[in-house]
Amino acid sequence: MREPLLTTEKLSNHFGRVCTALDLDLRFEPGVLTSIIGPNGAGKSTLINLLTGHLPVQAGKIRFRGRDITRLPIHKRVRMGICRSFQVVNVFPELTVAQNVMIPVLARTGRAWNPIRRLSRETAVLREAEAILTKVALLAERDTPATALSHGDLRLLEVGVALAAAPTLLFLDEPTAGMNPVERVRLLENIRQLAREGRTTFVVVEHDMDVVFSLSERIIVLHRGEILCDGTPAQVRADAKVREVYLGDDVSDLFRYEEK
Amino acid sequence: MKAETRNAAAAAAVLLALCAVPFLAGKFTIYLAMRIMLLGIFAVGYNLLLGRTGLLSFGHGAFYAAGAYGLGLFGVHVSTHPLLGVAAGVVTAVLLALLVGTLCVRHTEIYFAMLTLACGMMAFSFFWNAREITGGDDGLIGILRAPVSLFGGIKMPIGKDGQFYFFVLFFFVLSVWAVHRIRQSPFGLALAGIRENARRSEFAGVPVRRYRLAVFVLSGAFAGLAGSLEALLESNARPFMAHWTHSAEPVLVSLLGGMSSLAGPLVGGAIFVGMREIVPRSTENWMLWFGIVLLVIILGFRGGVVGTLSALFRKAVAPGEG
Amino acid sequence: MQSYVHVILAGLSSGMFIWLVASGLTLIFGVLGVLNFAHGSFYMLGAYCSFTVLKYLGAGFWTGLLLGPLAVCVAGFVVERFFLRHVYRLALPYQLLLTFAFVLIFDNLVKIVWGGGALSPPSLSFLGGSVPILGRNFPVYNLFIIAVGPAVALLLWALLEKTWYGRIVRASSSDREMAASLGVRVPALFTGVFVFGTWLGALGGGLAVPYVGLLTPGMGETIIIEAFIVAVIGGLGSLKGAFVGALVIGVLSAFGTRFFPAFDMALTFILMGGVLLWRPQGLFGATQ
Repeated sequence: MREPLLTTEKLSNHFGRVCTALDLDLRFEPGVLTSIIGPNGAGKSTLINLLTGHLPVQAGKIRFRGRDITRLPIHKRVRMGICRSFQVVNVFPELTVAQNVMIPVLARTGRAWNPIRRLSRETAVLREAEAILTKVALLAERDTPATALSHGDLRLLEVGVALAAAPTLLFLDEPTAGMNPVERVRLLENIRQLAREGRTTFVVVEHDMDVVFSLSERIIVLHRGEILCDGTPAQVRADAKVREVYLGDDVSDLFRYEEK
Repeated sequence: MKAETRNAAAAAAVLLALCAVPFLAGKFTIYLAMRIMLLGIFAVGYNLLLGRTGLLSFGHGAFYAAGAYGLGLFGVHVSTHPLLGVAAGVVTAVLLALLVGTLCVRHTEIYFAMLTLACGMMAFSFFWNAREITGGDDGLIGILRAPVSLFGGIKMPIGKDGQFYFFVLFFFVLSVWAVHRIRQSPFGLALAGIRENARRSEFAGVPVRRYRLAVFVLSGAFAGLAGSLEALLESNARPFMAHWTHSAEPVLVSLLGGMSSLAGPLVGGAIFVGMREIVPRSTENWMLWFGIVLLVIILGFRGGVVGTLSALFRKAVAPGEG
Repeated sequence: MQSYVHVILAGLSSGMFIWLVASGLTLIFGVLGVLNFAHGSFYMLGAYCSFTVLKYLGAGFWTGLLLGPLAVCVAGFVVERFFLRHVYRLALPYQLLLTFAFVLIFDNLVKIVWGGGALSPPSLSFLGGSVPILGRNFPVYNLFIIAVGPAVALLLWALLEKTWYGRIVRASSSDREMAASLGVRVPALFTGVFVFGTWLGALGGGLAVPYVGLLTPGMGETIIIEAFIVAVIGGLGSLKGAFVGALVIGVLSAFGTRFFPAFDMALTFILMGGVLLWRPQGLFGATQ
């Protein structure tokens, strides 16, 4: 078995009396496209917040490539290669699309401290930014301010900004929320393509079962902060506990999609 | 004409006009122009913190005062060389800004504003009370304008206002150029990102707190520069420079002129000084009018003078867009 | 011993004025989310209006205290209803600068209407004089003030905790949108809270007339800084914190003025810095 990228040991968290994560032991392998699903309140966003440093860990440990990162601040985790996109669009509103994507690139390449050099001369950075914009199909909008984008394009930008940090492990929190079917298919194809390129391992939180079952090699089902099931799509579909939790919701959907 | 060329032309015209002032205008206008430039240096550096990074500090007067007292005390105890004095003033301001900034940048929004206000007033009470060192509420008096000795034994006298004007102009141009370059740099873009979305900046790998401290100290340096120049201009340093009402000046002026452009604080400064000197001739209460102007700007013209004029100009040039 | 007690009493009385101003400030911040720079101006206006009632209408002290602050409430209403309302959704600098603009406007209006010089109010008849405490005389009026402070605190507590209106105010301050969707007319509520806060500040000013002995247009500027510090130390939005903070700052300042005159201004700021470094949200504030 390859060395895992990220592991957690007994990760736990609660808000007051509500338990949002209970003794989670997880492994994320490089190159395995994983989905995290679960009903509302299952703790999906909390898990991402904990793993990326947005939320401080109350109990348990997180290791990235063997190194303990439990107390590491956000920007240091990003430098190590862990990044995320947000469920609610969270970009730099008044900056242009190109500038949005340049910030993570500048930070990553250590070129964001120079106060004298003109930005227009940072050709390497500009080229990288353009490459990322091409990947998310936003190159045409490079000089548009983010506030002027359509919702679908904003979600693409959202993923683009996350990708610009060149993460090894990228958590996408409901990347297709609010998108129409055409945009959704386009984004998923992009993610599938990028996953195949092998430089980034994707972990996607999703509500939409189409996305989950057509995209993932592995699915983690969360319920009330605990792992209900963790395995291949076929295993998850067949799991009795999962069917019980989803009974009345999307049970029929679980059977609609063939395994890839 | 492209926007950049237009701006460069405007800047050149202003520079030319500024150079011409000592030859064409009377003593009072020369003095006024210098006060505008000093406020301009203070405000343009401060706006890096406010307009660019989104941090509201109400204590920058402390660094202005540190620059003034730093130069004054250096002049009394070490040397009256003006360039060294200015350097001493800036260094004093930077050290103080480093101390205050380290304490304050971990806080956000209101608490940051209040803490900087408190730090500024602490500096004020220090300058006011430490009579033996700072001269207390009389201020530090008797600051001399010795000639500037450069290489090759050249000594430039700056005793007369008409001569000192070029000393101030030099630092004004330097400051504006520096802030311009900073705004166009990767560092400047990172600052804008922090203003737009500090949370996302963290997730882009930007160590936000360190940047906040850096820009805080940088703006403090400009404040110190302006303060030391004022000490030379007025031949004194006063505790009032650190009072929060003085710290409010760059804030007001940046809002008045426009927080998002380079020229905004400069235009605002010119209007502010102009109003302060000219309006009192017809009415005693120029501050009242200034307050009303502020209200109008906040309620309807938040882009400030420069922002509103640019928007109007853009609409006139391309009426279908924007 | 005697001087310590007197200093403490003096500190308590000056602290109560700070509490009155800070209470309005805190209430406004807690519900509207705005830090009102102009609150010192309402205090000053309260003093000037009460003084006018006393001097030009020949009325008694209590009439002055009743009518003066009410007049200032009109100003508060105008500020909130026509100006502040438009900046709630804007960033912090705009809100602070709007209220700061009103500081400039009110301070100068006062100079125009009442002149820029100092005014001395007529002396009090029945609350005047002093009583001996531990062998030294202490003004009766100051004792009265020391009683008024907690009375106002009690009044506020009762209003907020025990009345139906108070419950709505508390709900709206923690979740504006939820309150609106439950049918609370939030804009009207905000105006009401702002005007009530104005009244508290102006009441402080009216009560200050016999205490300060001399009215100047600058009297608002000193007290607003002290009120800010108190509000921040106590925790922005916490009335309990503002009360405790005001007492502490009042007594500390009194000790400073009496025993360490060189540092009196700095002490309050040092305390504020110390508290914020230890507990960034203030003594009783909610964690950020």
